[in-house]
Amino acid sequence: MSQSVETLRQEFRSASDAAKDSKDLEAIRIRFLGKKGAITALLKSLGELPPEERREAGARINTLKDELSQALDNEIAKRGATEQEQKLKVERPDVTLPGTLPLPGSIHPVTRVAQEIADIFLSMGFFLADGPEVEEEYYNFEALNVPAHHPARDMQDTFYLETGRVLRTQTSPVQIRTMEQMKPPLKMIALGKVYRRDSDITHSPMFHQMEGLVVGENVTMSDLKGTLVMFAETMFGKRPFRFRPSYFPFTEPSAEMDIQCIFCHGNGCKICKGTGWMEILGCGMVNPKVFEAVKYDTEKFTGFAFGMGIERQAMLRYGINDIRLLFGSDIRFLRQF
Amino acid sequence: MKILLSWLRDYLDIQMPPEKIAESLNMAGIEVEALHQLGKDIKGVVTGRILSREPHPNAEKLSLCLVDVGEPVSLSIVCGADNMKSGDIVPVAKIGASLPGGIEIRRAKIRGSESFGMMCSKRELGLSEDHSGLYILPADTPIGIDALKLLGLDDTVFDISITPNRGDALSHLGIARELSAIFNLPLHRKALDESHGDGEVSALTSVTMDAPQMCHRYGARIVEGVKIAPSPRWLCERLEKIGVRPINNVVDVTNYVMMDIGHPMHAFDLKKLDDGRIVVRMAKPGEKIKTLDGNQHGLESTMLVIADAKQPVAIAGVMGGENSEVDDSTTSVLLEAAWFDPVIVRKTAKTFGMMSESSYRFERGTNIDNVPIALNKAVSMILETAGGKAKAGMIDAYPVPHHVKKIVVRPRRVSQVLGVSFKPEQIETILNRLKFEVEREGETILVGIPPFRHDLEQEVDFIEEIARIYGYDNLPTTLPSIMAPPRKSSPITAIQNRLRDHLVSLGYHQLITYSFISGDIPVQMQEGLPLTLKNPISEEQGVLRTTLMWGMYDALRRNILADEYDLRFFEMGRVFQRNGENTVEPDRLSIGISGRANPRDWRRCNEAHDLYELKGLLEGIGRLNGHVLEFRNSSRDVFHPSRQMEVRVGGFLIGCLGQIHPRFLDNKKMPAHIYLAEIDLSGFAGLSSQTPRMKPISEFPAVQRDLALVLPIETVCEDVRQALVTEGGTLLESCALFDVYQGKGIDPGSRSLAFSLVFRAGERTLTEADVQPRIEAMTAVIEKKFHGKLRAG
Ligand SMILES: [Zn+2]
Repeated sequence: MSQSVETLRQEFRSASDAAKDSKDLEAIRIRFLGKKGAITALLKSLGELPPEERREAGARINTLKDELSQALDNEIAKRGATEQEQKLKVERPDVTLPGTLPLPGSIHPVTRVAQEIADIFLSMGFFLADGPEVEEEYYNFEALNVPAHHPARDMQDTFYLETGRVLRTQTSPVQIRTMEQMKPPLKMIALGKVYRRDSDITHSPMFHQMEGLVVGENVTMSDLKGTLVMFAETMFGKRPFRFRPSYFPFTEPSAEMDIQCIFCHGNGCKICKGTGWMEILGCGMVNPKVFEAVKYDTEKFTGFAFGMGIERQAMLRYGINDIRLLFGSDIRFLRQF
Repeated sequence: MKILLSWLRDYLDIQMPPEKIAESLNMAGIEVEALHQLGKDIKGVVTGRILSREPHPNAEKLSLCLVDVGEPVSLSIVCGADNMKSGDIVPVAKIGASLPGGIEIRRAKIRGSESFGMMCSKRELGLSEDHSGLYILPADTPIGIDALKLLGLDDTVFDISITPNRGDALSHLGIARELSAIFNLPLHRKALDESHGDGEVSALTSVTMDAPQMCHRYGARIVEGVKIAPSPRWLCERLEKIGVRPINNVVDVTNYVMMDIGHPMHAFDLKKLDDGRIVVRMAKPGEKIKTLDGNQHGLESTMLVIADAKQPVAIAGVMGGENSEVDDSTTSVLLEAAWFDPVIVRKTAKTFGMMSESSYRFERGTNIDNVPIALNKAVSMILETAGGKAKAGMIDAYPVPHHVKKIVVRPRRVSQVLGVSFKPEQIETILNRLKFEVEREGETILVGIPPFRHDLEQEVDFIEEIARIYGYDNLPTTLPSIMAPPRKSSPITAIQNRLRDHLVSLGYHQLITYSFISGDIPVQMQEGLPLTLKNPISEEQGVLRTTLMWGMYDALRRNILADEYDLRFFEMGRVFQRNGENTVEPDRLSIGISGRANPRDWRRCNEAHDLYELKGLLEGIGRLNGHVLEFRNSSRDVFHPSRQMEVRVGGFLIGCLGQIHPRFLDNKKMPAHIYLAEIDLSGFAGLSSQTPRMKPISEFPAVQRDLALVLPIETVCEDVRQALVTEGGTLLESCALFDVYQGKGIDPGSRSLAFSLVFRAGERTLTEADVQPRIEAMTAVIEKKFHGKLRAG
């Protein structure tokens, strides 16, 4: 009898090892544990044993029955999970089919660059001021120390309106309007559209400028340098810079700031015209005549101002070769940003 | 402006490499745009004498020349020029020579004849634009010597751009003066005077000053017996290298003096001046003058002219007249050097559109002290180049003498502006280097404004000079010590930033279109009379936009014509409207839709779009900014008459939306379903929005009911919803439309609206008994007020 139990155990093992799927396991259950299965047959054969052996043999068969049934359950659970997994795997998605939510649209490249620049200055404690695009000549020129008939007017070819006003040629009039309303200390930026009568692949009659102004006691040209170097390093990374004297009627001293060309790292290339430098902004100490126009005490207060074109930065960054693309609303262009 | 290195050496002993000079000028505010080292690319060019010239056997336009280049064997050269003859001496590029532009000279066979080199024109040597023929050298030029030095090709031209404030730097002397300050080098100037001559100038002519405020000083000298001829080679070469075309030995001298010391001059043919005298006066109404460029100009009484006894002979500071021009038969010349008012010269030059080298300099301010210097320099050069005899003395009419104004420069102020302290001695040294007159009074410094610097008016202007020469790069980098009060950004900026991100994540692309548009755009896309530009670039950009509609429509249309049909656009920008005398510039948002929201949707579950997509978008925008928008019927001509709405907040009109009117579908590519919306963001920003107050969240379950109603078709949804809300009472948590149906099973003339109702109480679980009376009340009002009923089944 003990031999039969052991044989059955062996048979079960080899059968369950050979089982391929849950169907085979079900067949095994019927074969061993079914009503007409091998265990039942074995139990029935107990009667053939001498009575003193029946008890022990019966216990052994029942142990075997529990053992087989437990092993089978485990096997079924295991195989089942694997089979389920297999089945799920059959439903594999085509990962190359496109998703069905609309793709995001795009922020205009000019806005992207403008926001980045503005964010840097906002984080340095500047606030964003605003002014009209249709401007009085006084704010665009006279208050900024550009008298009528001064050759400096040639620097900016102006659009005039029939009402006698002008389209602002620079964001600098926002400086004047802000100073008329606020007293120092002051740290402002202004961002917006400006207009000049100029049109080719690098000049647009409408473009964007960012302007900055800091006024207070003991604001120096060294502070101007430090502030703008900090900006440039945040925007373009740490790289050599230089300040060259220049001329703007509303600043004195005036300067232009260059950084080492971001394309050739100073070796000279087409974009920097072989100089190794890229001009990024104009700046200077506020001309006392400007303070006089807004009735600030010129002895007490000093200040600096700076301004930069946004389009040029956007064109350099994204490799845009024609400024007119920026305002052409072509979806094939916009989609790229 | 072109500046020649060899010319600078007339004034300075400057030996450093041209690159170093250019960089130093740049760093002092004189921008060097380019640097041309003339002979850099030239190798193997020598002087040669043409021994014979014969026609090319196979080509009519070519010649066959035998050229002696000082070697045992003369060279046979095929040449296409026609201005040479046997005996002429010319520059010859031998086999193996190189020329500007990467040209290499090789042995060549030209139309069957061998050619052993090339004879050169001025252009081929990079000397000027002249390509009319070979460069014929003087007969006494030695043969076979290197042409580089002989032709002055071992020189450098600086292309310099001068800011409008620096009129003083528009000459070789001006640049030399800068370099002398930068490098601390002595500036050499030769003094000339007018004492020598043959008889007195005043015996021959006179100058009457009728407009002294416009002409502070007018000087004249006379040279008689000149012989007008081409200028000597050295003079022509200098002028050509800086881009000035030589004319004759008198005119060239006046141009030379202008480029040399920066003072414009003019030469009159003395015999052509009526009564041989000069009157400086305002023009008389009706007077005319034909200028040297051949144009006739009507003069106005606001213009300054140089006249003889009878008529204008020049427009002061702008251009001379033909009637007094120096020509080949001229024997006596009257030379003019003067100081004219910058503004009158600028206005006149602008009026006539005649910007000349002369007006350019007068506009920027000339040095009044240069009047005699220019005259004496010109006279001495004319005697040298054109012969003749000078009259002694000069007419120097100087009714408004220049006084040197003195400015106080305080070292304390210098450091207040620059952020670094300077000792008085340091400041003095720098100002001296700039050739300014400096006096010390203890700690303060008194500087005279030099007559050549019209840009220096106040203390800070001198501080810039100090900083410039000290070097901006030598200033420290520090941060401002001030603390400005923090401020919030304006409501409009906050709204714009929020909406931009929102719309982009919904698939919309941001546009920036021009603020100026054509005045001819459809009137339906305008609001009121646009502001007109006085000087537009083109009619296409002639007026300022009054709405964003046109820009959006045009953007959609142009993309559609380029076969891009699925478009989602927005623009945020200002529009410009008249408000009496003033202009208002509201900020607006426009939205444009065409085609599918998502062309990538291959399951086609998201294909249709209509007015309600746009409405939903606007509702969302309202919600983002804390406003509930109201939509009403409207009748704008830009939209399809029955597919449009206007948008209000609290009754206040802030925008509109609709399907574009079919009349604007002017191309068969354009789909009918194009939708536009425009919202006044400034109006939006001006509204006070409700700050949300939190309501407690109930812990008890809700009772949900759907209510399908059949209503007459003209009944609007919102009226019904409002009535349901009213009847729902305090237990009704929400009431939302979820289905609209018309068709089978519903009477024609009616439609079904289905609402989803949620009832909930804050303090207990609701039962049917709570909800049923509310439903009944709702049904009753639907029947009584709207003549509707519950939908069967
Ligand atoms: Zn580069």
